[in-house]
Amino acid sequence: MTAEADVPESPAHPVTGLDDVVHQRVRLGVLTITHEARRVEFGYLRTQLQLTAGNLSQHLGVLESAGLIEVEKGYAGRRGRTWITLTAAGQQALAEEIGRLKALIARVESGETARDS
Amino acid sequence: MTANALPAGDDPRRLLTDIRALAHRVRLDRRVTWFALLLLAAVTLVAIPIDWLSLDADCGGADGPCHIRRLNRAYYWLPALLLAYTAIAGYAVRAARARGLGARVLPYVLTGVALAVLSAAAWLFATLYWRSHPVPVNPLPTWMMVIDGLVAPAGTIGVALLVLAWLERHVALLVFTLGYLAVVLMPLDAAWVPPFGYLSSFLVPQLVNGIVLLLGAAWFAMAHRRVR
Repeated sequence: MTAEADVPESPAHPVTGLDDVVHQRVRLGVLTITHEARRVEFGYLRTQLQLTAGNLSQHLGVLESAGLIEVEKGYAGRRGRTWITLTAAGQQALAEEIGRLKALIARVESGETARDS
Repeated sequence: MTANALPAGDDPRRLLTDIRALAHRVRLDRRVTWFALLLLAAVTLVAIPIDWLSLDADCGGADGPCHIRRLNRAYYWLPALLLAYTAIAGYAVRAARARGLGARVLPYVLTGVALAVLSAAAWLFATLYWRSHPVPVNPLPTWMMVIDGLVAPAGTIGVALLVLAWLERHVALLVFTLGYLAVVLMPLDAAWVPPFGYLSSFLVPQLVNGIVLLLGAAWFAMAHRRVR
């Protein structure tokens, strides 16, 4: 029997599962708003996340390339509008990220409790 | 690796707090509670003169039971509630779109329509039942009166508002609706003498229900304006 065999298999640390595309404050905000709203306009995202148009476009590009959102351009009267919707992969990525964040918090808190006692 | 290795902006607690705050903001921006209550108050208040004209109470002797026919359930309430729920959904979609958001109205519309149809079906069943059965001499049991109150138009409005509160996770609306349902289901004091004849004993509670909805609409409109 080796020493390795005696070590119980522990579940992977939640941090190892974090997805760099999703685990970013602005992109997580985009996914959250889009999930709650079903469909959201570019201007609303820009206002809520307090970003410049260029900055938001870059983040949307990253999410679109990863297949997490769909960007649709159209018109409302004469004004051009850009609408963002969440894909099924985006829904799943958001749910997984929230799950990992909760697991991470639980892990940190259980560690703090163990240290305190 | 510890949580401290993450950038400060990516602190999981802070990220989760931000996520919740953003989701809450979207729900706030999408709410049209005041409009829904205003329209339902209008439907309730317009029903009063219609009820006055179409209620038929045959009370026989002074102490005998009354046989009441409410013809307006099918002719007024069903189409009025269906139109009201459609108008609320239409307004919600329009308001959400104007703010740059999508709207989720289908579950609410389906619930409202199902409740309005259920209310009309319950009225039809009761009408057919009492046509071939004697009117009970003693008052009906409380549980039966509560069910009757819930399937009556004012009760179904309350249940539809409960669904709306649940869909929107709207605690204030939930509290308001519970208060409204308590008013709707509260039994009349047996010693109370109706001011304008026997028929007014049905119309005064309807007036109270309408005023409660109207006050709710005013309160939510003010709260909405304050938040925005």
